[in-house]
Amino acid sequence: MLSFFARRVSLSLVTLFLLSIMVFLGGQVLPGNVGRAILGPFADQRAVDALNHTLGVDRPLLTQYATWIWNFIRGDMGTSYIFRSPVAPFVIDALGNSMKLAAVAFVLVVPIGILGGVIAALNLNRPLDRIISLGGLSVTVLPEFVTGIILILIFGVWLRWLPISAAWPKNAGFFTQLYYLILPSVPLFLVLFGYIARMARSGMIEALDSDYTRTAVLKGLPWRTVIWRHVLRNALLPTITVIATQTGYLIGGLVVIETLFRYQGIGSLIFTAARGKDFPMLESGILTIGIVYAVATLIADFLYSVLNPRIRLGSDQ
Amino acid sequence: MSKNYRILDLIRRNRSPLENHLIDGLVDGRISRRDFIRHGSLLGLSLPLLGGITTAAGLGGMPSLARAQGAPGATIRVGSSVPAATIDPVTIADAGGLLILQQVAEFLCVDGPDLVLKPALAESWKPNDNGTVWTFKLRKGVKFHSGGEMKADDVVASIDRLADPANSSNALSVFTGILQKGATKKVDDYTVEFHLDAPNGNFPYMVSSDNYNAVIIPASYKGDYEKSFDGTGPFKIEKYTAKVGASFVRNEDYWGEKALPERTEFTFFADMQPQILALQGGQIDIINQMPVLAGVALLNDPSVDIISLKSVAHQQLHLRCDSDPFKDPRVRRAIALSIDRDKLVAGLMKGRASAGNDSPFAPAYPSTDTSVPQRKQDIAQAKQLMEAAGAGKGFKVTLTTERYLEIPEYAQLIQNWVKEIGIELELNILDQGAYYGDAVFGKSNWLDSVMGITDYGHRGVPNVYLAAPLKSDGTWNAAHFKNKDYDTLANSYIAALDLEAQKADAGKIQKLLLEETPVIFGYFYDYLTATAKGVAGVQPTAMSQLFLEKASKA
Repeated sequence: MLSFFARRVSLSLVTLFLLSIMVFLGGQVLPGNVGRAILGPFADQRAVDALNHTLGVDRPLLTQYATWIWNFIRGDMGTSYIFRSPVAPFVIDALGNSMKLAAVAFVLVVPIGILGGVIAALNLNRPLDRIISLGGLSVTVLPEFVTGIILILIFGVWLRWLPISAAWPKNAGFFTQLYYLILPSVPLFLVLFGYIARMARSGMIEALDSDYTRTAVLKGLPWRTVIWRHVLRNALLPTITVIATQTGYLIGGLVVIETLFRYQGIGSLIFTAARGKDFPMLESGILTIGIVYAVATLIADFLYSVLNPRIRLGSDQ
Repeated sequence: MSKNYRILDLIRRNRSPLENHLIDGLVDGRISRRDFIRHGSLLGLSLPLLGGITTAAGLGGMPSLARAQGAPGATIRVGSSVPAATIDPVTIADAGGLLILQQVAEFLCVDGPDLVLKPALAESWKPNDNGTVWTFKLRKGVKFHSGGEMKADDVVASIDRLADPANSSNALSVFTGILQKGATKKVDDYTVEFHLDAPNGNFPYMVSSDNYNAVIIPASYKGDYEKSFDGTGPFKIEKYTAKVGASFVRNEDYWGEKALPERTEFTFFADMQPQILALQGGQIDIINQMPVLAGVALLNDPSVDIISLKSVAHQQLHLRCDSDPFKDPRVRRAIALSIDRDKLVAGLMKGRASAGNDSPFAPAYPSTDTSVPQRKQDIAQAKQLMEAAGAGKGFKVTLTTERYLEIPEYAQLIQNWVKEIGIELELNILDQGAYYGDAVFGKSNWLDSVMGITDYGHRGVPNVYLAAPLKSDGTWNAAHFKNKDYDTLANSYIAALDLEAQKADAGKIQKLLLEETPVIFGYFYDYLTATAKGVAGVQPTAMSQLFLEKASKA
């Protein structure tokens, strides 16, 4: 078990290291340069050169990378080129906000999605199954900006029930924050519901069709016990993996939702950093998401191995 | 109304020959009242004096500047684009950032919505005989938010800081060839002289709100503007949160009339769509700058008012004059003749624009020679020109441009129009960063492309447009246009102090550019600000500034 996790952790570290190099190099191939991005296309070249020198982006690439990664490892994310202040508070704030939004979306979608999948599987090929499967599929393919705008128009502009901006007032308490997060979390719910329900449904169908379920039923166990003890436990394994991979999406890929609802998440932070060639912000932001993603995957692996010892034992052989 | 020569003579008595020539132009009918007021303000004549002269000339006085005062004490909420970088008067370059800067800090003079220069921190100004030295008299008793009085030393330091190449100054491109570091001199505590590199008849615009970096801040400024937000403006900073927003409160020590609103709040939006929804949803009162295509939904919304300013912002279509297929000016003219400008104004810009005549002289400029005929679509003539140039069979060429505002749609329209004269246009629409590249020749799609469309913001005078993209040594000369006659005319225009001399040069430049057509100026679009019904007294400028001191809510 320990060596299984040691191997998983070291693999994650190698992945993160490679990610840091790719992000750094990716940032360098963006057209234009930092000084030009800050001062604009019509600025005098002497001013651009002076700014590049002040920011240190005219140093050799290797020096820039080494300085950044060494500082990052020691917990210093560097200074933003654009805001001329430390990167860390921006990334931490944005990550916290993204996690709040992700948490609200998860709390809504995970139980409802699993329940939907389970109900669909138990009503296989009946109208209820078709409604859940087709309905889930339909809402999953709707882009977030479409559902987002429709929701804003209905609940924000026409009815004026909910705030259309997710940026809550300062010093807002838990419930106020929750109130502001309702609208932005619905499009995420819609995108993820079909996905999670479908995974839960297929897992359930497979488990219901398996020998151990048949044995349990033949043993004369009550139906409820069969479902809870034998079917669900096995059916939800692939769903856990799906949920873990969606964590990365929810934490780092919400640029559209964050822009639409004016939400200060890490997705929009990285997007604006890329546009402004704010490399310390861009690199630290992406690496932070990489870390979150790696941790989520590790947790999923852990849960998976606890629920299914074959994985753990198989990898130990 | 009849002319009152007795008063006119009295006014003339203390005026310089240049000012008297302007007055003569008005009295003799060579200059319109509107042009007289604009040019008079440039020469530093006060608005009451200008009004006195127009009354004496029998043309009526100045329109009353006093607005209906709304109720004081409101909180005015504004939606704006996100400042692209830290707020620093020296480096700032984007609309979102300069909007915030302008809330706290002020300029020597303000280029108003009608392109009339109005005094602000400077009470008056005047040039020497040849326009090489401009003397500005400063307002007395103006206090910075930090407490000290604004004096000549602060003006000298503020402008010198911008003219210094070592400071990463965004205003350097405005001052290059005009004003160097050290050329701003203090005469006494309330008088400053600008000693220019060459005569310049439009210089006051370079230190007005037209040059958005040119706010006056304390001489002691060392950077870190976001820690102080020190300025002389009618509002003081309350809170600034990067990427989120800012709020301001009334400055009770303001030198002028105190602001009506108690507070102002600025909310930053990364995109226009959420901003429009926020206005419709009642979460903001004003959208500072609304591009016409993105804001179509608001143009006919009865709960929204649109403030529309005639600006000279435009999209330049350049054609490389130094290489095929645009080496021959007849081919360039043929392209210009294939464009339907009426459709651009009415269709693409929903009527919120003025047709361009292939020179930077927009209809809004007082120096524009309006007798030069407007170029119109003429496919037959365009085909003849193509034949004459030996390009009758047409050719294939790439139009490279940026994904910004309505430019992709504009490019598609051009693609359709030039097809009629046999030109097959391939569109290469890039992200803005990729289009501008390093913004130097050899490393920029903008400056190196055979044909391209580039966005140019508003300017109160055409000097920048005449020099950088069109002069032989122009730093933004994407058309690679090299013409000695043009250079001489542009220099002469820039140096001219007298409106009639400017007009004469403008006419010659307009005709030369119609003949050569290195750049197609299809239209000049209006600057739009949207406000919720009941919000009054809001004064935007086409430079993205927003003056809120007279704003109120019903």
